[in-house]
Amino acid sequence: MDFAQLQQAPTSVPTEHHSHGNRWDPYVDNGGTSLAIAGDDFVVVASDTRQSNGYSINSRYSPKAFKLSNDCVLATTGYHADALKLVEHIEQRAQLYFHKHDRAMSVSAMAQMLSGILYSKRFFPYYVFPILSGLDVNGKGAVFTYDPVGNMERVNYQAYGSASALVQPFLDSQVGFKNQRNADPNRLLEQPQALKLAIDAFTGATERDIHTGDWLDLFIIDRDGIRQMKRELKHD
Amino acid sequence: MGDTDAYSFSLTTFAPNGKLLQIEHALAAVGNGSTSVGIKAANGVVIATEKKAGSSLIEVSTLEYVVKVCDTIGMVYSGMGPDFRVIVNAARKSAQKYRRIYMEDPPVRILVKEMASIMQEFTQSGGVRPFGISLLLVGVDERGPSLYQVDPSGSYFPWKATAIGKNMINAKTFLEKRFNGDMELEDAVHTAILTLKEGFEGQMTETSIDVGIIGGLGVEGGAKPTFQCLSPAEIKDYLSNIA
Repeated sequence: MDFAQLQQAPTSVPTEHHSHGNRWDPYVDNGGTSLAIAGDDFVVVASDTRQSNGYSINSRYSPKAFKLSNDCVLATTGYHADALKLVEHIEQRAQLYFHKHDRAMSVSAMAQMLSGILYSKRFFPYYVFPILSGLDVNGKGAVFTYDPVGNMERVNYQAYGSASALVQPFLDSQVGFKNQRNADPNRLLEQPQALKLAIDAFTGATERDIHTGDWLDLFIIDRDGIRQMKRELKHD
Repeated sequence: MGDTDAYSFSLTTFAPNGKLLQIEHALAAVGNGSTSVGIKAANGVVIATEKKAGSSLIEVSTLEYVVKVCDTIGMVYSGMGPDFRVIVNAARKSAQKYRRIYMEDPPVRILVKEMASIMQEFTQSGGVRPFGISLLLVGVDERGPSLYQVDPSGSYFPWKATAIGKNMINAKTFLEKRFNGDMELEDAVHTAILTLKEGFEGQMTETSIDVGIIGGLGVEGGAKPTFQCLSPAEIKDYLSNIA
């Protein structure tokens, strides 16, 4: 056997290498941050309103938290176009449910339904990170967090978005009392406290995250309904 | 495909007097079936039916007339057994499908509408016949206990108390006298068994009737009521309270 000859001979058909880096991307990250904090009988939901694309600002006021007809709030981050379509879809399903059942959907039923809606697009996902909030059947604050394909978990608080790495650890510390001795991890905050923390989380995030700022949409869900507030954030 | 096209039209067509004869005949099939009763109590619902075996050699204990659809819904029928089995499977599947989406059992009226819709489909599709059964669907949901009847036509009716099948006329007359809205579930079971006894040929034993209940004392305490078929031993207890 002439091994030298073998080494020079090609062992496969020569192929061209195409770089696919110029391919059109169906997704865009519109930046921004959202959070929700659950209390014993309320939920505070907060989303900034800046919509961006890279280093450019598309809008200083583009709301990304939406009040649904069953007294729930869906806070989104990620691709705003997908968020809008997702909210449209959920609201349509909520209406159908309402007319069929003669009552509004419970937050837990909507939560499960949302998981299914997201997974139905497992192979072309909604590029959205939803946080669904409402009062559960016992009147207690409920926050459901998802990944873009529908992995669902009920939690006491959650932050998503471009400043999530800044906000979530802050919530872990001040809402979840994590890594603190003699702290009760199951203790839920009172409404004024939760509201202050939500606002402080955003003023802090606005300082350091370029994609977060302009205005803050706040929703307070409690047994009297949903109160909506707007606060200005730094525009820089 | 040529031969099968011949039945692409509906076999259920209007008669000049406005009736759908196939549905009338289906109702007749229901009328030939064993009597079933349903009674709604203040805190629950009961359904019961005659479990008449055609021969003494039949293994009566394996016959299933009163069935659980999901934890909070049960049903019974009068008419053609095999048709009932199809609807039971459809009902159970529908309930699980609902659970998969909403993580909750469907309210009774929602499941009723699903079954009624299926039964109506079979009165307006090609190559099929209507179901030869009437259903009594019961359950407890956020509105409390409910009892519904679904007919072969797909019509459905909410009832406080009713009977279907062979002895339905006498049974309903009996119920009209005996029923009152304040009845507790225990009394409703007692009344249901008495109603069946009215038209029962021969000796009623714990293996010759099927009884299912949902609700009862636990409901007020916040415990989630589940639909259960009574065991022969439990039925025997009720029978012993009847002369």
